Formats: sequence, C-alpha cells, structure tokens
Amino acid sequence: MASQEEENVTEVQEPAPGDSCGPLEDEPATVTRKRPEAKLPSDVTSAEQQVPKDVEKAGLLWEKDSDPSAISPTGWGYLGSWGKSLMSTASATVATVGQGISTAIEKAETSLGIPSPSELTVDRQGNPEAETSDAAKENESSSPISGAFGVFSSITTAVQNTGKSVLSGGLDALEFIGKKTMDVIAEGDPGFKKTKGLMNRNSTLSQILREAKEKEEQQISDMVSVDSEKKAHYGLFFDDFLGLSHLEALELLSQESEAKVTCIVSALPGKELESLKPELEQLKEAFSLVEFEEEEEEEEREGTKDFAHELAGLFAELHIATKPEKVVRARKAAYEWMAGLNSESEQEDKHGETTVVQSDHRTSVEDIHSFAIRSQAELTAYSIEMFHKTAALVLYCEKQDATALERAKALSQITILMCKELSSLTKQITTHLTAAGVKEKSDVLNPLITTVFLEASNSASYIQDAFQLLLPVLQLSHVQACAEPAEQ
Amino acid sequence: MANANTGSLLNKHTSNATMATAPYNYSYIFKYIIIGDMGVGKSCLLHQFTEKKFMADCPHTIGVEFGTRIIEVSGQKIKLQIWDTAGQERFRAVTRSYYRGAAGALMVYDITRRSTYNHLSSWLTDARNLTNPNTVIILIGNKADLEAQRDVTYEEAKQFAEENGLLFLEASAKTGENVEDAFLEAAKKIYQNIQDGSLDLNAAESGVQHKPSAPQGGRLTSEPQPQREGCGC
Repeated sequence: MASQEEENVTEVQEPAPGDSCGPLEDEPATVTRKRPEAKLPSDVTSAEQQVPKDVEKAGLLWEKDSDPSAISPTGWGYLGSWGKSLMSTASATVATVGQGISTAIEKAETSLGIPSPSELTVDRQGNPEAETSDAAKENESSSPISGAFGVFSSITTAVQNTGKSVLSGGLDALEFIGKKTMDVIAEGDPGFKKTKGLMNRNSTLSQILREAKEKEEQQISDMVSVDSEKKAHYGLFFDDFLGLSHLEALELLSQESEAKVTCIVSALPGKELESLKPELEQLKEAFSLVEFEEEEEEEEREGTKDFAHELAGLFAELHIATKPEKVVRARKAAYEWMAGLNSESEQEDKHGETTVVQSDHRTSVEDIHSFAIRSQAELTAYSIEMFHKTAALVLYCEKQDATALERAKALSQITILMCKELSSLTKQITTHLTAAGVKEKSDVLNPLITTVFLEASNSASYIQDAFQLLLPVLQLSHVQACAEPAEQ
Repeated sequence: MANANTGSLLNKHTSNATMATAPYNYSYIFKYIIIGDMGVGKSCLLHQFTEKKFMADCPHTIGVEFGTRIIEVSGQKIKLQIWDTAGQERFRAVTRSYYRGAAGALMVYDITRRSTYNHLSSWLTDARNLTNPNTVIILIGNKADLEAQRDVTYEEAKQFAEENGLLFLEASAKTGENVEDAFLEAAKKIYQNIQDGSLDLNAAESGVQHKPSAPQGGRLTSEPQPQREGCGC
C-alpha cells in the first residue's frame, strides 16, 4: 500500500505555473459529469481533481469547463465555427479564472509551508502518530479507497489546519474545499462502504448548493449600492423555485434508504444475498449514464421530438401517481417568452432603421441573460422536485407496478432527456442573446453568454447528481419487493 | 407537481420569496415540520400562514411540500423553512425521513375528529424519536371555527400538552385565527432556547442555521450528519 501511494504521489504534482490548461487536459470531455467515485489507488489524479470540481460547485467558477468540448461536445457542436469562436471566448475567460485558482492553490501550499505531497507521504511513513490520526479521520484506512484519499486528505488537513488564519480572498474557497473534503472523508462509516464512493459526495450536494447561494446572497448584500441588481443569480433562483428544499428532502430519503438497504442486506442469509447481489448490481448499472453523448447526437438529428410527449411517455413507465407537470409548464413558458422575443425582432425588421427607439422597448441583453439563468434554475429545480416526488412515491407504493430496474431505466432516460432539454433551451436562448447583443461590445456580451453556458452545464450536473440519489431508493424498493414474497 | 392547485401554491411561494429577495437580511433559518393525521389541515395552515388565504380544496400532499416566510422575533429576522408532510398513514415511512434536523414541529389535530386527537401520542413518539431533544413542539387544534362540531375539548388538549411539555393553541386555517401565533410562538421559544444557550447552534441537527453578517461562519459545523447507525427495519 505504502509503495503504491508513493508511486502515485508523483502524479499529483501541481501544474506548472502558467500552464493554465494543465488540470483541464485530464478531464474527460463528457457531459456525463460524474462526481469522482471512490477510485483505485492508480487514480489519484482524479481524486486530486476534486478540488476544481468542488470549486465549481461552490459557484466560484469552473475550471474544468473551460474546455469548450467539456461543456457539451455534441450539444452545441452544431453551432459550427460560430459556436467554436464563441466558446473559445468563453473558454478564454474561464481559463483565466481557472489559472487563478490553480495558482492560488499553489500559492497556498508554498506560502503555508505545506510539504509537497511526496514529502507528506514520507512524513506519514516516518511518523506513525500522524498516520494514525489521519487514519482515524479517514476511518477506512484498510480499504483501497483510502489509498487514493490518503494523500489528498493529508493535503487538505494541512490546509485546513494552517489555513484559517492565512487564507484570504479567493483562498477562502480553498479552505472551504478542504473542510468540505475532510467532512466527506471523515463521514466515512465502515458499514456503508459498498455504495459509499458515489453517495458520500452526493450527500453534500444540497449543502454545497446552499453555500453557493449564500455566497451569492452575500455578494448581493455587499453590492447593494452598485448597479448590480439586474444581475441574475442562479443559486437564488434555484432556491426560490424550492430546488434546494426538494434536494435536501431527496437526500434525506436517499440516506435513509441507503441505511435500510445496508441493514436488510446484512441480515440476509448467504444464499439469498448471493442471488440479490447481481440484481442490485444491475440496478447500479442502470444508473451509469455512459451512452449519453452518442445518443444525444443521434437524436439531435432526429429533429424536434415533442419534449412534453416524450417526458410523459417515460414518466408513464415509472407507474407512479404523479405527472411532471411543473417541468413541462416551466419549459413551455420559457419557449413562449422566447417566441415573444421573435415577434419583437420581426416588428423591428418592419420598422427598419429606427434604431434609437428600438433600444428603448427592446428586451435588453441583461434581461435575456437574467431570463436564461432563471429558466435554467427553474427547470433544474423542478427536475429535482420531480425526482424527489418520484422517490417518495416509489417508497410509498405497496404494490409495485414496475420493477425497480424498469424504473431505473426510465429515470435514466428522463435524466438524459432533461439534460438534453436544458442544453437545447440554452442554445436557443444564447441565439437570442447573441442576436440582441449584436450591437453590444464583446466584453459585455461574452461574459453573459459564458455564464449561460456554464450554468447549463451546472444544471445538467445537478440533475445527474440528483438522479444518483435515487439509486438507494430503488435498491430499497427492490429489496423490499424481494423480501415480501419470501415472508408470505 | 400533483396538480394545478399545488403548482400555483408553490409559484406564489416563489414570488413571495422573490419579493423578499432584495436585502436577504435574515439572521437565522429555522426548519419546521408540520405533522399530524390526514385531513387535519396541515397544508391549509401552511397556506394561511404564507399566503394569508384559505385554500378550500387542498390536494393530498405527496411526501412533503415546502413553504417559507420571513418573520421577526425580538428584532431578529428569521426565515422559516417549513416542511409540510403528508398525513396519509402509508406515507409514514417516507415522512419519518424528513424529521431530521427540525428546530420546530407543529403537531396538528382536528378538534372535530376525536381520532386525530387520539393518534397524537404516536405522532409525538415520532417527533421525539426523530428530532433532537431541543426541538420545540407545538400542539395545534385546527378547525377551531367549527365550534358546533367540536369533539375534543380545549381543556383536555391543554392538559395533554402540559403533561408532555408542549406549547398549545387552537387555531383555524379557515379564519386565520391563531395561525400566525402558532408559527410565531414556536419561533419565539426556539429563539429563547438559542439565547439562553440551551440550543447549541453548533450541535448536530439543531435545525437552525445562523447567518452571521460576516461571510464565513461556523456554518460548516451544522452539516448534514452521517447516516445513523441504526435502521428502522
């Protein structure tokens, strides 16, 4: 174990200063942004990347997404060269931020006198006391997972311990992440090892979002006097649409279900356990959204399939007593609003050259931008509410009209559908944004477009994370369904 | 989600929250849960509290619905995050998951239906077992406007409340009588607990989030807790 760790440490080097793209290149360019799972030791680099990921979740900007293809390789690909140049502007903006963060991390490490990762490992080996305290925190040092987290957590511990007084400004983010990570790791309960990798990270999603929202609140109250009231804040909208509340509720259901599954499974006699295992495994597989991109591309060409119809169809497969009406309504409202923009611009065409008058009644780029962020937050919040209601009803149902596996498959399709829908809505809004901002300077327009794309990407990952929270719920319903006939 | 009714309710909450957006200057968030038998008027109490309106035909709640409102206690602005749980017996397993981390619990019965009063001990057991010891529980006898159909006397309910250390009010979601007070009394009690130190904000699942004016606070200490060891199976 120790030697493995050491070997991996060499991969964990910070990117060279100035090499702003360093950490980005490792990032798989995929829409299906899974949170890092518990990795084998050979994957230490991925564990390391939690930092930018969590930074992103905290709403502090989004290092990993600065690769344009990472946002939606196929989704926006059709925009062609226009889209590319647009996106490279976007990526340029973000890369700067990204660089800022990695530089900050580096600075933090050097200025705090934190030993390099390799030194740390040596330290750990030479200092059994330190190791035991670390191990105690990790609470799982015997598992291969801790190999991966070991190095990382030592760093964060160091940052956390020394950091408080020294860090300032942007470095607060780092402290926050350090704590966050420690919490996630310290939360480890040996009893929950099986499903832990993914769920642990998910279990703090609402917390992360809440804190992001609070940051935004803070920013707003800091800038009351400034002309920022028009700025759109995703986190605040998301909370207003009760996205946070439903997410929290879904997390509670998910955690409870997970605990119950663990409890039931551990009480099963060996033979039954053997037969149950592959079934649970199958369920888990239904929750990996691997084929996301290919499918998306295919269906992109299929043209406009009716979203509401498709969603209703998939939802019917769940056999639960609710309908995703809010999602459908919110989406419809968004498209109606955009249709209003279209007629606006048509009128302008007729009027010809009355540019001065136009700028008065025409919807401003800020309005469109704010609308975009609001719609994204609304659709995301309602998607999460939809998942929460689904979870409640799945647990509520006494007789199961659909198997857990069938439901898992339908839910995975729904997740994909929602993400696709968000992406195509975003495309449309940005088209309007570009059209409306044609006379604006690029330094006004580009950041607006960039945030819309980034929030689209965030929305997709929140939805996917919420979807993952349904796994224990379906596992529980499956385990219970299996147990019932046996009882009779 | 369930139907248009719920939808508009939630949208109104939304606009409510948006109106309050500007300064975002509350200093605490309290989590409340509303529990009690089906049809006692939990959702209507919430609606009356957040919208100041009576909702005549209220759909069954699926799992839990939410409402928020900012109130003021001793000059402090407090945001109530209210979890309105489903009362249906079959949902009990699900709704039990929502109790965790509640600072206040509104336990509601219907003064015109004795059975809803008789079930209180079971609701109380859940509330005690699934929340922390400092959670403030207030007993609410709803439908106080239907005096003619009264099935549970004020006195016996008052006695039950005293025996169990609960706050108690009779209220009417229809007329709005005492609705405001029910939510406020609980908040006052929670705030008092904070002031005299009996409610430790840093404790796990206190159900209260403090919002210090400085951006960085001890907020991280009130994280969601690791899963409980035991399980209800």
